[in-house]
Amino acid sequence: MITFFKVVWGEAIKQHRNYFHSKTIYISLFVWPLLSFVTAYYGYLPFEIETAKIGYLNGENILIYLLLGYMCMSFFRSLVQSAWNFSFERQSGTLEYIYLSPGNRFAVLLGNALSSVLESMIVMLVFGIFLMFLHKEVLRMQLGTCMVVFCLMMLMAVGWGVFLNACFLFSRDTDFLFTILEEPMEIFAGVKVPVILFPGWAKIISLIFPLTYALEAVRETVLNEASFYELKGFFFISMMILVLLFGGTLITIQIVEKHMRKTGNASLF
Amino acid sequence: MISVTNLSKTYEVKRRDNFWTFHKEKIHAVKNVSMRIEKGEIIGLLGINGAGKTTTIKMLTTLLEPTAGSYSFDGIDAVEYPQKVKKEINMIAGGERMLYWRLSAYENLWYYGQLYGIQNTVLKERIQSLLQMVGLWEKANLPVESYSKGMKQRLQIARGLINNPNYVFMDEPTIGLDAVITSELHQQVKELARKQEKGILLTSHYLAEVEELCDYIYLLSNGEMLIEGTKKELTDYVFTRKQCAFSVKGMDKQVEEKLFAALREYDTEGEISEMDKGVLVTSERELTAFLADFALREGYVIQELYQKEPSLEDAIMKLSKEAKQ
Ligand SMILES: Nc1ncnc2c1ncn2[C@@H]1O[C@H](COP(=O)(O)OP(=O)(O)O)[C@@H](O)[C@H]1O
Ligand SMILES: [Mg+2]
Repeated sequence: MITFFKVVWGEAIKQHRNYFHSKTIYISLFVWPLLSFVTAYYGYLPFEIETAKIGYLNGENILIYLLLGYMCMSFFRSLVQSAWNFSFERQSGTLEYIYLSPGNRFAVLLGNALSSVLESMIVMLVFGIFLMFLHKEVLRMQLGTCMVVFCLMMLMAVGWGVFLNACFLFSRDTDFLFTILEEPMEIFAGVKVPVILFPGWAKIISLIFPLTYALEAVRETVLNEASFYELKGFFFISMMILVLLFGGTLITIQIVEKHMRKTGNASLF
Repeated sequence: MISVTNLSKTYEVKRRDNFWTFHKEKIHAVKNVSMRIEKGEIIGLLGINGAGKTTTIKMLTTLLEPTAGSYSFDGIDAVEYPQKVKKEINMIAGGERMLYWRLSAYENLWYYGQLYGIQNTVLKERIQSLLQMVGLWEKANLPVESYSKGMKQRLQIARGLINNPNYVFMDEPTIGLDAVITSELHQQVKELARKQEKGILLTSHYLAEVEELCDYIYLLSNGEMLIEGTKKELTDYVFTRKQCAFSVKGMDKQVEEKLFAALREYDTEGEISEMDKGVLVTSERELTAFLADFALREGYVIQELYQKEPSLEDAIMKLSKEAKQ
């Protein structure tokens, strides 16, 4: 068990030094979501918000509504980027040395995702809390529920990251995975336009992304005073998602290693 | 002791016929290879590109699963229990990849140390002693991207020893290095085996390298083990005949003809070939006494007379030629 955490820690530190070594990375992690957020907000201004199907949404709290969307998205999106980055370990040969070692493979993926989540979270979180403080009159939240929901969202982000890391490891065409995951997540998870306004087919697509559920719950607790009881559906679904993500990762790791020992390369397709 | 018996690896690759269909093709990369590695020994695995060296190394390091054959590691079945073996082995590959260039030497080693679950205090000391050993301790905190080729290769060596393995596998470790760095690296490989008692398997397509370093040599060709033995055994196997370099003062065609006639009397199968200085005499029989006697009888002053050791290179050239026929 100690060795498990040693590997998690080792990988997290390595990822931090290897990936977040340059400050330019923060442009894509912070400045970019910020710009999208600002354009989305000004895009909304000319419309009558009250006619939307979401009861608690109005002209005053739309700013925070969008802010929460872009905040949560930036956590999940940073994981797509870091998983893509992780796949380069295959080209550089370092993946082979990871496989050569007895280190727990799941611990490696976990350390990598943890590091990315924490790293990308800091700036956006500080900015978000600052903005919410400025507009604290529109907040309707129960702090306790809010904390729990937030922690669950982080957990889901980590699970999502671990799973993506595993997927990117065995896919030959990682660019393809990257494009189908990055932009569509912003569109379909309801970051900008609430999912409830989507046509039916788009609603179905939105169900794929864990971000959809996390985002819904975060908004409900911060802007609509949702209680533990009202969020029971979300708690149930998030548990299911976590089991699926972590379980899926464990299975994927097994398959990839078996395939690699047989063919000499990791790519399954 | 590492012992492999009849190890084979067949890759299956998909070959696309056109956009819709493909067929599977089998590549027999390694066929029925048997070998042994003991601690403190340097074993050479020699072969040209595509001979199957890397595939063999990857099977021995548990990165690849053999298609057939057995692999026992200190009595453990390594095909069945690769996890038990991983702690005791490591690999050093040639080339500059396989390191994190943005990390420093220290950070690289620290990371791999974590993967092996090495205790912090032990790891700290080990990193220092390894970096001192390869002469990188002063630059331990500089990013690897600022290192020269030779420094990166030395860091590879330190990396390959991070878990203090009993056996080290080196896949063409000197590829692309200049002569100075190569000889430095040879020195270190020797020390690893002689002083630290590590079992080393080294692959190479440079004959001179294997000749200089290895106690025992396996020659791989097209995935098959062509021949094995000590350097002396290999050359003896191929060259049962003796060779002497010989030259005298004022050597010309006339002298050569006289020598040839004398040689024919001594050994009917004897041969003479020109060298840049003097001639090379080949015979089934002892030659030094014969040649000295010849010079004495004819009144020549000997300039050069020595028994020539056949090189491994000659031996292998000859073997490969025979294998083709
Ligand atoms: N992962 C792989 N998949 C399919 N064929 C491979 C793979 N790796 C190596 N080969 C083939 O196996 C043969 C032996 O290759 P290799 O072991 O790399 O030789 P060497 O290291 O001696 O150059 C070659 O014909 C090579 O093309
Ligand atoms: Mg090779």
